[in-house]
Amino acid sequence: MGLRTTITAKKKLTAVTKWLGAAMIVVLGAASVKPVARAQTPNESAAPDASGAPAASGPIRMPITGGQAEFPIAVSALKNLGGDDGGQTSNAFDTVLTRDLKLSSYFHLIDPASFIENAQSSGFDVGQINFNDWKSIGAEFLVKGAVTRNGGSVEVEALLFDVAGQRRLMGKKFNGSPHDVGEMARRFADAVMLAVTGTPGPFDSKIAFVSTGGGRFKEIYTAWMDGGSLFKVTDNPTINLFPSLDRGARHLLYLSYKSMTPELYLVDLGQQTETRIDPGLGQAVGGTLTPGGNIVAAYQRNGNTNLYLVDSTGGELNAITNNQAINVSPSVCADGTKLAFTSDRSGTPQIYVGTVNGGSAQRITYNGSYNTAPAFSPDCKKIAYESREGGIFQIYVIDAGGGDPRELTQSGSNESPAWSPDGRYIIYGSRSGGGSRIYLMRAEDGNVIGPLMEGEGNDSDPSWSGWMGE
Amino acid sequence: MIRIPRGRGGWVSNMGQGVRTAALVLAIIAFVGTGCSSKKNTSGEGQLSSATGPGMNGQNMPPSGSLPQYQKGELGANGSGGPLTDIHFGYNDYAIQPQDNAILRANADWLTQNPATHVQVEGHCDDRGSEEYNIALGAKRAQAAKDYLTTLGISSDRISTISYGKELPLCTDETEDCWAQNRRDHFAVSQAQ
Repeated sequence: MGLRTTITAKKKLTAVTKWLGAAMIVVLGAASVKPVARAQTPNESAAPDASGAPAASGPIRMPITGGQAEFPIAVSALKNLGGDDGGQTSNAFDTVLTRDLKLSSYFHLIDPASFIENAQSSGFDVGQINFNDWKSIGAEFLVKGAVTRNGGSVEVEALLFDVAGQRRLMGKKFNGSPHDVGEMARRFADAVMLAVTGTPGPFDSKIAFVSTGGGRFKEIYTAWMDGGSLFKVTDNPTINLFPSLDRGARHLLYLSYKSMTPELYLVDLGQQTETRIDPGLGQAVGGTLTPGGNIVAAYQRNGNTNLYLVDSTGGELNAITNNQAINVSPSVCADGTKLAFTSDRSGTPQIYVGTVNGGSAQRITYNGSYNTAPAFSPDCKKIAYESREGGIFQIYVIDAGGGDPRELTQSGSNESPAWSPDGRYIIYGSRSGGGSRIYLMRAEDGNVIGPLMEGEGNDSDPSWSGWMGE
Repeated sequence: MIRIPRGRGGWVSNMGQGVRTAALVLAIIAFVGTGCSSKKNTSGEGQLSSATGPGMNGQNMPPSGSLPQYQKGELGANGSGGPLTDIHFGYNDYAIQPQDNAILRANADWLTQNPATHVQVEGHCDDRGSEEYNIALGAKRAQAAKDYLTTLGISSDRISTISYGKELPLCTDETEDCWAQNRRDHFAVSQAQ
């Protein structure tokens, strides 16, 4: 066990140019940037209030009902305080921030063409803003800010205002490189969600998923949850399945047939190395990462598939199930102990809840004859899963202790749910019309927000990390 | 999955429930280069070489294995070929069906007459159901045939098993005929090592 592979810089460039052809020139430049430790990049702090007035304390809690209410928000360009003469940095920040606020489904973005106040000739804090101009175009919330670019360093200050109250709600100052601007925008979007709804947004996080891309083979990809920075992790003409990101998106576990036998591989996304996980328990069937850095893996021997707790080098820690049935699809909740999985020990695939230490497990699904792919919500209170109905699947949510399941999806065939870090959203693979896409919906009411990405190939089996650095 | 945006400009109407939906905007793609590449470098940039793991060069590969045929684009309606005959299963079932007893006896006879061969039993499933459950189900199907061949006197040392779940279908139609064709054990024969 412990076969390690280093990824070469050449491979890196090939991957990026192949999959982001439209943006080849800028991406090529990006690929040569050296890795920077996350802790330093970008730096973030609360922006000092220029007006001297205290910022509004606490979130504004407003009722959100059924996806009907969308707060009108205006995202003004960042004022160039130097070095961003082409507006490139401001555009990059606004593009990601706008995309994320739309994805949240809480906001309606006001068309910048209707903006009256010029971002470059006006100020960007209370006392320098004509709130009546923003009120007249229907804005309830306003984002303004400034950027200073000096060679390889960028400083972004971004502020959120309550237009009617003519007050500042929140401000952030970020320092980093030009390549960090997207993450600055994602963190600011999370902070806007916190200020307006009381809970941080889910945008500073990553997803992994399976896609056939432009070819026939299933490969593993990662991206920001909003679809940015799409990256192809595997490139082998076999079968790659079941990507599982850990909370901080530092590691990725997946199953591959690249050795012509199904095996689990643990990727260190920072070091760009991977370890083959081989505890000698039989052939790998699937697995997931635990919050503690271990792996719950399904291995089959003599046709029986059981779950085991394995460490990150492939050493077996303990058996979790030990029977003649099928035991697959593990999901570990954030407490690191509770485990949901699928077993057909009753005769049909059903969801069970036990612990990673083994022992008895409790069946929690009784509706339907085929329930699988359980996923714990971040607070461990709920489990999303897929249930077969008339030959297709729909996503349901059930209390982790059992009870009445609630159907979230209705159209198409919907599989493999994964929760957002904040627990308000679920992504899933949705099949309709012969293709498959990763869709985003609200966990509370099942309102579909839309596909995260579009393009060639079929996308499926998403995993969603926690917040970056978590 | 080159992200050629279909809904450039952002909002398109979703066929789902009348909720507006955001399609990927070109600017997001273009932004990748300027916005967050150092993040990519710290957490995900870089492509894992395919040359990891043992057996990458095709040694140990049965000549009639389904995966090599799929790699060549040759896996299709005529099955995976080879000297032995596939057997088939009921939906979400791994019991040997009575009509396949004769096929398994003939396969055992061939293996008896060709003692210097190894067989890898491949379990396959139709495409209804989750990938992971189907890999476990395919393992059950492969094991069922292995057990049967063993009772007919074939040494278990000559029989290995693998499951491909629903990943290597012979056909992709959403019909009962196609599903039945895909729920199979294939017998990939190679020269014994």
